[in-house]
This record gives sequence, C-alpha cells and structure tokens, in this order.
Amino acid sequence: MKKYTLTAVSIVSIAASLLWLFGLGWTLQDQFTANEKVEKPREKTESASTEKQDDKLTIVALGDSLTRGTGDADGKGYTGYLTDRLKEKTEQEINLLNSAVKGETSRGLLKQLQQREIQRQAKQADVIVMTIGGNDLFQQGAALESLDMNTINSKRQLYLSNVKKIYTQLRDLNKDAAIYHVGLYNPFSNLPDAKTTSSIVRDWNFQSAETAAEYEDIVYVPTFDLFQLQVESYLYTDQFHPNTEGYKLIAERVASLINFEQEEDES
Amino acid sequence: MINLVRNEMLKLLRKKRLYVIVLIIAFLVPLFTYAQFKEIQDQREKLGNQDWRTVLQQEITDTQNRLSSSRIQDEWRKYLKIRLSQQQYYLENDIDPRAPGAPTFMRIFVENSIDLLLPLLVMVIVADLVSSEASGGTIKLLLTRPVKRWRILLSKYLAMLLSVSFIVLSVAVLSYGISGVVFGYGGWNMPLLTGFSVSGDELITDNVHIVPQWQYILMEFGLVWYVCVIVGTLTFMLSVLLRSTAAVMGIMLASLIAGAILANMVSSWESAKYFFMVNLNLTNYVSGMATPIEGMSLGFSMSVLAVWGIAGFIIAFVTFSKRDIY
Repeated sequence: MKKYTLTAVSIVSIAASLLWLFGLGWTLQDQFTANEKVEKPREKTESASTEKQDDKLTIVALGDSLTRGTGDADGKGYTGYLTDRLKEKTEQEINLLNSAVKGETSRGLLKQLQQREIQRQAKQADVIVMTIGGNDLFQQGAALESLDMNTINSKRQLYLSNVKKIYTQLRDLNKDAAIYHVGLYNPFSNLPDAKTTSSIVRDWNFQSAETAAEYEDIVYVPTFDLFQLQVESYLYTDQFHPNTEGYKLIAERVASLINFEQEEDES
Repeated sequence: MINLVRNEMLKLLRKKRLYVIVLIIAFLVPLFTYAQFKEIQDQREKLGNQDWRTVLQQEITDTQNRLSSSRIQDEWRKYLKIRLSQQQYYLENDIDPRAPGAPTFMRIFVENSIDLLLPLLVMVIVADLVSSEASGGTIKLLLTRPVKRWRILLSKYLAMLLSVSFIVLSVAVLSYGISGVVFGYGGWNMPLLTGFSVSGDELITDNVHIVPQWQYILMEFGLVWYVCVIVGTLTFMLSVLLRSTAAVMGIMLASLIAGAILANMVSSWESAKYFFMVNLNLTNYVSGMATPIEGMSLGFSMSVLAVWGIAGFIIAFVTFSKRDIY
C-alpha cells in the first residue's frame, strides 16, 4: 500500500513539475515578446442590456460632491434620500447608479461622459439627476477666489458652454429621460460679502436655467431659496456642503418634481 | 540516483508533512471561498444590480472619489491610480475580470498567496530535510554509504522540487474543486488582459493582449512554482547550514514576513529591491499592479530570485560536501 502511494505521489509530482515548468516557459514567452494589439471582442457582448429594463426605475446620478453626498452623516446624499422618498411613493423597484465624483467640474463631467460605461448607464436611465458647476464657481469648495466680475464672467462662459455640451450629449444618449439639474445655493450667505456672493450665485443659476430651458425635459432645480435664510443650520462642518438636513431638503424638492404616471406612460 | 530520490520521497511521506499541508489548504480554501461569496453577495445587495459593468463602474467612481481626497498617501494614491486605469481598460474592452467561477477563484487565490502563504507551506516541508538528519544523527548513517555526498544532497534537492510541485498542484486542484461547489466549474475560456506595464503612476497598455483564463492561470501557476522553488532552495540551504530545524524555520519565517512588510514601505529605499523577499509577488506583473519599488519588472524580479536561488544552491552543495560530520 505504502509503495503505491509513494509511486503515485512521485509520478503526480513529476507530471506537475513538467506542467508548471511549461506554464513558466509560457509566461516568459508571453510577457517578453511583443504581442499583437487587443482585437476587441465587442460584437458578442455589445448586446449587453443597453435596453431599458421596464420593471425598474433607473436613476442615474452624475456630478460632484453634492451628488456623492459629502457632508451627509449617512453618506447617502440627496440621491439616497430621493430614492427613499420615491420608494414610499411607488411599488416599482428603484435602481440608483451614482457615478458622481467629488470635485468634478463641468469639464470633468464632460470627459466622464465620453466613457462607454457612463454612456451605457445614461442610455438606461429613466431619470437623470446631476449637480455640476459648484466646483467651477467655488474653488474646490474653499471660497470664491475673487469677487472680480471679469474672472467670474469668463468662468461662467466656460461653464455654460460645457453644460450645453453635457446637455446635448445626454439628450443624444437618451431622448426620454427627464434630467434634473440641481442648482447652486450660496453657502456663504451668512458671511460679510453675502450680498455680492448671492448675486453672483443667483446670476449663475439664472444663466444655467436659461440654458436648460433650451432643451426638452431638462429641469433646472433651484436650491438657492432652500438655504437662503438658515444657511448655517443646513451646512456641514466644512461650511460648504449641506448636512443631512440640507440634503433632505434638496431630495424633497427633487422628489416632488418626479412624476410617476408620466414616467410609466412613456415607457 | 532514482533510488536515492525514491528513498527521500519515502522519508518525506513517512513524516506525513505533505498530508498536513494538503489538509491546511483544504481547510483554508473553503474559508476564502466563503469570504469571496459574501463579498459578491454584499455587492449585489448594495447595488441591487447584477450587471458587472455597473458594479465595476461604481468601484471606479469610488476610487475616483478617494483619489480626490487630499489626505491620501502618495503610495496609496499611485496604487489606486494604476488600478483605476486598469479597471477603466477592462471596462472599455468589455471584459469582466472577476466573473465568478472556480477558475477565477483559483486565480485570485494564488495571486494573493504567492508572497506569503505558499512560501510558508513550502518552508514547512523543506526546513527539516537536511537539518533533521543532522540533529537526529542519521546523517552519519547516510554518509557512510558508498555514495558521493553531492549525490545524496542532490537526491534531497530533487525530492524537494517534487514536493514543491506537489504542493502547488494540490493548491490548484483543491481551490478549483472546493470553490467550484459554490461558484460553478465553468469560466476557463473567459478572456483576460495581460501585458500591462507600469511606469511611475502611469499604466502603459502598449503590449496589452487578451489571453483565455486557462492560459492565464497556467502562467500564474508557473510563476508561483518558480517562487516556491526559489524559497525552497533558500530554505534548503539554511537547512544544510543549520542543525536546528527551528532556527531554519525562524529565519525563513522572519524574512518572508519582513518581505511582506517591506513591500509596503520601501518605495523610497531603492536598493531594497535586491532582496529576494520583496520580489516574490511575480503574479502582479502579469496582472499589472503597481510595483513596490520604482524600476522593478518581471524580468528584474525573476533575475533577482534566480541569483538568490543559484547562490543558495551553490552554498548548500559546497558546505555539504566540505563539512566535517562528527
């Protein structure tokens, strides 16, 4: 008996040695010689559900830290609370895809929209929510860099042209989805320069809303008024991002705009 | 010679060490399988979505968000950036690098065990090959035979090689067999990308090409085997040099663990890349991960390991042939 085990183990081991040696040789050959480029195996997988799934309501969230939920104790952000609210309203299963990146500017979002996967998500969406522009105007959430109207104007021009491209791109990808662009509030409205900053933000919002109005089914959702009076009680400790309460306010506002009957009729 | 090797193999089997190793692996694999299973389940629950693209995209977004935080270590940032561009590349080519299945599990398992777990298992077998003869006194009986000393040592060395192959094989077989119960046995032909190279914090994709998963796994096991042979050779050398098995194990254990720790913190100490223990992670080159130290590559790491292995081999044979036995 013992003898058989010995022979068996030895033979198996020798075979294994040869196999691994072969694997090693293959690695060397594969890694150290030039290989032809990837031929993309797209044909067979392209069919992968770019179709809308009718049983589910797909919300695609894009944009910056607000959409990501920075400052919210639960990390949900307004998208999370929005989903919660919508779940109360409907039996439908809700699928939230949050692709927001902290610190994203309008240029960054435009670049992100070139990615295949993001495009695929946008195609699937029933509702698109986004926040963008905060980082274009406020330097990474720190403060307004200068109150100089010229710099702000040029920033705004750049932002508006990017946003236009974003809208166009989203509409190209998805003709039916309602797009909710959540507007800016003024986090500095309790600071000395409040008058100036508020007017800058108001102006910014106005221009954005004008741009949104040129497209079908793009809603520019105002938040300026929500934060206008008691800004400090809705802000996170960084004095820039909303806190949980602030996010809930935004979520409520967006939730009230999403109309189910219509969504279902369309699909 | 064959009889000598046979004899050595018989001794190895008598010690029942190989069975213990197999048992250890058979115990660990279900553990990892369960962990992996939980992770997949967790992800599905969180996203309510089964499409891997969405999951991968979420991961990419999470990484982007982490990268945008300013309180992040440079090391970690580099690692994340490279992983990010790799994931992006996978997504663009519509390939799911983690489609669940027993082969995928096998691959992830060896990738994670190549630098510590497997070398440790090898060490357990090899550590007392020679030293136990010295401490037990049987070495005298062995050397009184009319056989040249180097032949005796060579037979031991060959037995070591065989048992290393056996260990690697049992890892392959057990991880496939056990994880397949949960994940299913399919997925050998899944395409994977290899040939990434890293320069600074950029991922270079010039030489990237697709290989089927079975080839990928075979390649990785070849590398694992190579690493195990080198670690085996070094342990073998120590086993010749030292009479105490415990000392051999202690030294090997310390250097292997030191390697694992060093790999995480040596990025600024460049000459550390000539240590064998920071070069053990060969599979990372195939899958395209960030290297611990700038300027390391598959060729470099394999050469360093080869130099250490050959040196160990020579030292072992010279000492063994010259030493006085009393």
